[in-house]
Amino acid sequence: MALAKKISLSEEELVNALKRQDTIAIKALYDMYSGALLGVISRIVLHTEVAEDLLQETFVKIWNSAGGYDSSKGRLFTWMMNIARNLSIDKLRSKDFKNSNKNQDIENNVDFIDEQKKVSFNSDVLGLKDMVTLLKPEFKDVLDMVYFKGYTHVETAEELNLPLGTVKTRVRMAILELRKKFN
Amino acid sequence: MEEVKAYIESGILELYVLGQLTATERTEVEVMASKHPEVKAEITAIELAMEAYALENAIAPSAALEDKILAQFTETKAQPKVVPLYEVKNDVRIKTLRYALVACVALLVISVAALFSVYTQLKLANNQIVSLSSEKDKFATTVTKLEFDKAGMQNQIDMTETTEWATVKLAGVANSPKAKMLVYWNKKNKSILINHSAMDLPKTDKSHEYQLWALVDGKPVSLGVFGENAKDAVQQMETIPRAQAFAVTIEPTGGSVNPTMEKMVVMGGVTI
Repeated sequence: MALAKKISLSEEELVNALKRQDTIAIKALYDMYSGALLGVISRIVLHTEVAEDLLQETFVKIWNSAGGYDSSKGRLFTWMMNIARNLSIDKLRSKDFKNSNKNQDIENNVDFIDEQKKVSFNSDVLGLKDMVTLLKPEFKDVLDMVYFKGYTHVETAEELNLPLGTVKTRVRMAILELRKKFN
Repeated sequence: MEEVKAYIESGILELYVLGQLTATERTEVEVMASKHPEVKAEITAIELAMEAYALENAIAPSAALEDKILAQFTETKAQPKVVPLYEVKNDVRIKTLRYALVACVALLVISVAALFSVYTQLKLANNQIVSLSSEKDKFATTVTKLEFDKAGMQNQIDMTETTEWATVKLAGVANSPKAKMLVYWNKKNKSILINHSAMDLPKTDKSHEYQLWALVDGKPVSLGVFGENAKDAVQQMETIPRAQAFAVTIEPTGGSVNPTMEKMVVMGGVTI
């Protein structure tokens, strides 16, 4: 990994390059965000190979949907992250992926996701890098379920036996914590 | 402003950034963000925090993946070029069709030229055939004429050499001083022959022909009619046992019972 080869562009430059379909945008996006995107994908889909395939799909979709990105509605990374997460969740819930895992319970997705994680605990993922532990456990659990594991906040509430309002509050608190830490 | 603050604190903006909202809810947030800069700023702050959190939790892809994805990418990038390639393919097809059209037109021109040439030659050949045919007809006519004349000549020679036949010369009368004709009369069987090649009579029209008469004791006796264009040079007429003179008149076709005297063209007395 030659650091000199890494490309870093400003958000605006990146968006412009992407919109005019300049391949430098992909190179830059890969250098800047492939790890962050793979981090999200890998925590939803625990198989390394599938996750890397999904990362590839994500880049293709980012490229092909570049015209649909509206910078007034949010940051580029948020948009890309949602693409990556949606592709991963779709994959997780797709028939062929479930069949490949020989999972019998195809009706209840929440149970399925839960079960899948228990059955095939991905030591590779955990071995690479531990989750950042700067949040209070009750905040971190909720945020990670929503942000990293592909649960909806409604599913999270059901899963954790919490009122929906509490889940929303905890998500907000968790993010406020992060803002203090990072901003 | 309290309303905006409450909106921010409701936690909906976090769910917006996390992609947890329905399309309607998202639109609502976007409307709020465009109206209130505080909402927009809050969203950006949340986004930056989540971005940082994601980067903190990044997992480096395997080294081979970068090349694989970027390679895939050049392919993906090549896709828009597939469209012009397709068009080029179309162009090639159009070009091919254009060549085919040009070839067809050229073939048509050549065909028309060849047809015209053949037509010209055919016309020439037809003209030659017509001209040859007319020449042939001319020759045939000449040959017929020659044969006719030869037969007449031969007859005249025969007549002069024999003693059996008497030759009676008929000379032109006042109406036709230049007219002349020969009549042969057989001394034995009294048959009469005329020789078309040895006669020069005034022309007749289509509705008239010549009639030969014998004058027997002052009375005319018809010996038959003959036309201007005889098939054979020598023609046999009616037999007459005796006569003092012969004469030819022009009569309506088919002949008359009595000769039309004013239409007499030749006459000659028998000298034997």
